[in-house]
Amino acid sequence: MRNFIAFIKHFRNVLIFALLQGIALSLYFTFVQFPRTQYLTTAASIQGSILEARNGITKHFNLSKNNVRLQKENIELLEELPKSFIKLEGKLVKIDDTLHRQQYEYIPGIIINSTHSKRENYFTLNIGSSQGIKRGMGVFSTNGIVGVIHNTSEHYAVIKTCLTKKLNTSIMLEKTGQQGFLEWDGVNARKGSMTGVSNDLKIKKWAKVVTRGGGGIFPRGLPVGKISRVEVVEGESLWDLTMIFAEDFRKVQNVYIIKNLLLDEQRDIEKQTDYEDQE
Amino acid sequence: MNKLLKNSLRFVLFLLVQTLILNQIEIGFGIQLMIYPLFIMLLSFDTGVLSLLAISFTLGICIDAFSNTFGLHTSSLLVFSFLRPVIFKLFDSREGYDLLLEPTVLNMGNGWFIKSFGSLLLIHHFWFYLLEMFKLNDMGYVLQKTVYSLPLSFFLCVLLQYLFVNKQYTK
Repeated sequence: MRNFIAFIKHFRNVLIFALLQGIALSLYFTFVQFPRTQYLTTAASIQGSILEARNGITKHFNLSKNNVRLQKENIELLEELPKSFIKLEGKLVKIDDTLHRQQYEYIPGIIINSTHSKRENYFTLNIGSSQGIKRGMGVFSTNGIVGVIHNTSEHYAVIKTCLTKKLNTSIMLEKTGQQGFLEWDGVNARKGSMTGVSNDLKIKKWAKVVTRGGGGIFPRGLPVGKISRVEVVEGESLWDLTMIFAEDFRKVQNVYIIKNLLLDEQRDIEKQTDYEDQE
Repeated sequence: MNKLLKNSLRFVLFLLVQTLILNQIEIGFGIQLMIYPLFIMLLSFDTGVLSLLAISFTLGICIDAFSNTFGLHTSSLLVFSFLRPVIFKLFDSREGYDLLLEPTVLNMGNGWFIKSFGSLLLIHHFWFYLLEMFKLNDMGYVLQKTVYSLPLSFFLCVLLQYLFVNKQYTK
């Protein structure tokens, strides 16, 4: 026993170091997979409010650019309103549409903190669970998708962006419909890659990549990027596709969070088929 | 000034400058400016390993909480503070250190500071990028990031000391 205590005393520093290091590393490796608490992220209220105060100053740096962007978006939407069409036939009236039902609602938000040069990049959002934000909702901006909500607190949320190792979102080529997954190699914030596309069909350069909308997170057809380079993966029948993101993540500030009104219904019915498979 | 008060003030300043200003600066080539190891470096010579570890754990967790890195900064800062006494012993002069001094560049001279802080910061940066990538294939990229970021961070740390820290005189 005395030997044991002497041993502990002798290696006290090393043991404490190993203990703290173990805590830090386990935090690091588990948080990337699943956040258990919001206190260690920028979703927590202290960090969030400090970052929001900073953003209060820095948001004005890009004001004119953002205004132009929002104006452009407004024009696009205005053009779709009934009042911007001339009636060609006097008898036509607008009736309550029962063929279509709204599936997606959009909640506006502002990014108050962002990084782009890390291996895993997370953005902080100025709205949280009190505004209806939940883990797993999709986030996009005018130009294209941005990421998925990773973690929320009452007034703030953290987005896992496209600039992470793997954002588990299925994407597809707009024209041909081939599916793949979105990945990022951690080097260039403008370029990502699309994996899992079999090379039996030829792919044109500058083909548009959009979301597939299978998981119920994103609607189908939101822009992701454009294919900029096509290469063959050695030894496999797959393409190695590099794409340029539609959104410049270094500039994005105004985003929309997607609320899928039919998500529960989709999850329920998918769960049923899972049970049947098990039996 | 009271030592504890001075160091807590420094703690807050380092935390805010690192998270609110330096984390937002994008230079490209994967460069990140990290000055918070300087806080651990500047604690006086008589600080024990255990208190070094405790302080660096706290500072690291705070920085992680602000930059969504979940323990990456904590881990590398722990390595930094654990090796600090080892490196200091390695570059010890014959008389030994004046225990009440702070190991600043002004107190200890350029040569000593470059040797000791340089090697500690190198280890810190290398550990940080290695963990961040966590892939042996990307070793080249880890080294590239380390080599690019190190001189800039180091230069910034030296500059900060010349601007804000006074030379200490002992009897």
